Amino acid sequence: MTGMLTIAVLLPELLDTNGDASNARVLARRAEWAGHDARVVAVNSVIELPEQTDAVVIGSGSDADLETARDVLLTLQSRLRELVTSGVPVLAIGTGWELLSWGIEHGDGSVLEGLGIVAGRAIPRGERAIDDLVISSKYGRLVGFENHARAYTGAEGSPLGRVLSGSGNGSGTEGVVMGEVFCTHLHGPVLARNPVLADHLLTIILARHGAAYAAGERATQVDQIAQAARNQVAVRLGLAPEGDSAGNS
Amino acid sequence: MVRYAPAILIGRVVRKLARWRKPGGGSAIPGLIVNRIAPGFLARTLNSFPGGLVIVTGSSGKSTTTKMLVAALRAHGQTVFTNPSTANISQGLTSALLERASITGQVDGDIAVLEMDEGHGALIASTLLPRVVLLTNVMVDQIDRFHDSEMVTAMLAKIAARATEALVSNADDQYLADIAATMVPGVEIVRFGVTTEVLSQSPRGLGYTRTTTERMTADDGVLLTEVDGTRAELRAAGHTHTVRLPARGTHYAVDAASAFAAAGSILGPRFDARVAVTAISAIPPVFGRGEIVTVHGKQVEFVLVQNPASFQLNVDSLEAGTEQILVAIGSDVRDPSYFWPVDTSRLGRVLIASGSKAHDIALQLAYDDVQVDRIETDLAVALDDFLALPDPARGQKTIIFSADSMRRTRAHLRLATNSEEAA
Ligand SMILES: [Zn+2]
Repeated sequence: MTGMLTIAVLLPELLDTNGDASNARVLARRAEWAGHDARVVAVNSVIELPEQTDAVVIGSGSDADLETARDVLLTLQSRLRELVTSGVPVLAIGTGWELLSWGIEHGDGSVLEGLGIVAGRAIPRGERAIDDLVISSKYGRLVGFENHARAYTGAEGSPLGRVLSGSGNGSGTEGVVMGEVFCTHLHGPVLARNPVLADHLLTIILARHGAAYAAGERATQVDQIAQAARNQVAVRLGLAPEGDSAGNS
Repeated sequence: MVRYAPAILIGRVVRKLARWRKPGGGSAIPGLIVNRIAPGFLARTLNSFPGGLVIVTGSSGKSTTTKMLVAALRAHGQTVFTNPSTANISQGLTSALLERASITGQVDGDIAVLEMDEGHGALIASTLLPRVVLLTNVMVDQIDRFHDSEMVTAMLAKIAARATEALVSNADDQYLADIAATMVPGVEIVRFGVTTEVLSQSPRGLGYTRTTTERMTADDGVLLTEVDGTRAELRAAGHTHTVRLPARGTHYAVDAASAFAAAGSILGPRFDARVAVTAISAIPPVFGRGEIVTVHGKQVEFVLVQNPASFQLNVDSLEAGTEQILVAIGSDVRDPSYFWPVDTSRLGRVLIASGSKAHDIALQLAYDDVQVDRIETDLAVALDDFLALPDPARGQKTIIFSADSMRRTRAHLRLATNSEEAA
């Protein structure tokens, strides 16, 4: 067995505007459904980051809290680097991702330095992007919702996927993947809606314990609900529903 | 005031025409026209009540609080002009005033008590001279407005700054405490709040964006000391009062405390606490806010969720062991991510997930380890099947829905529309 798996969710009090923190719960539940013990630990300061951390989730927050969140994250910077270097998967969403980048450029020209853990930086965009976001990725088609005020540049070399509908980074690509760090504008419960991505992360998590991941029976049932929810969005956007062969592209 | 006579006459004619064309409809149009031809009418009329103007505003609880306050004032013999909550906009308000205005623009009544949306209130605040402003709370509202607690607070501050006599304010809400701290001397700050014990009954707090770190005491204002189902205890001026609430839930008890505090401030020496408590206790429940309705011979409790905070409060205040639950989330919830911060695990088991967002809410429930027996996107089918089930052994049949699903439920079950909370 793998012992207790620990999913750390960073600054959930500041960075959970859209329910992004729930992705930690999604990983823990799916791990449990696969027969492993798992827990979610909320990390609001460096001392709360468990010694043994198996995955990290960081969500999106309000612009008013950006600097406060960044300052707390700076105290976690070296621990985060260690985790990333040792292959612990990280899911970063929205402003959480922006804070891990080189920095955030504001409309007035000022820049908030990021942690420099992933390449690229957030730059102003004309209008806030608020819509469904559908991308094709190597894990399959991912469906979700985006709500962000900035575009992202410098991720063209290794995006999470290509935009099928919505805005994404602003250049036809969406997100960035560096090693096992996955960054996206797909906010809220992206892992529940797109279990292929969840299971990719769980496969990495368990491989680090020398175990293989096989989705539990409950996950298989729940994933049918997720597929129906994704298809509802896809059909509304004029995209082919998943089913027999559609979906992966 | 005679100068408004032509505008009022025209408004009345338009109102008749609008009614004739569409019975019961067109209520905002006469107001729109009068506001066009006599732009001062609204403010002038609202400022002319002998007992003054009272504004109730904030993110949540405005409707119930306004109803309770109006009832308490009327029980003291006051003639109160008030607005139905659908008439939040200037036009609606002007139309409502027109219904009651004499040809000289005078509206009968001792006092006006108005519920105002914070955005609309801030727009017209500079023309109004309220005696008393009551602030309920600051909660995170719809997803499109997120990041905006600061903006909501700025709007509320603008309205509060117009108070000439008193600001009645929620002591547990940090944003409101900050506003209260900026009031000019001479404006009395009247506080209401809950005890540590009452707060701890709601493990996730009362839904305020920021809750103050310290609780007020009974010496500071009207203190809510106990909530037990639909019974609440208030401590004020050295006395304890037992209030019956329109439905279960600490938020209703807070509404009662705020209405009690405001009535005391408005009536001064004429205030009789027992009269106020009796009137507040007689407020009937409202559809979708805990009212138990008999449909097809079955008793059903309808619960409206308007935002994550109210979703959480309603889940937390649901009677333990409620065994027949239907959850319907409709297209008004544009982005279902919105609800994921809500911990729904307490529901335990949901018989049917429905509405156009049935799959999304079912997915959330599944990850909270709530058993979902069935997903039925057709709300009409879901309702009929749910109502056809024999009465539960434990708890009421409970339907939790978003505003869109509430409208569809009402239409399908042919429940009389109650204009009071259609907004
Ligand atoms: Zn029917």
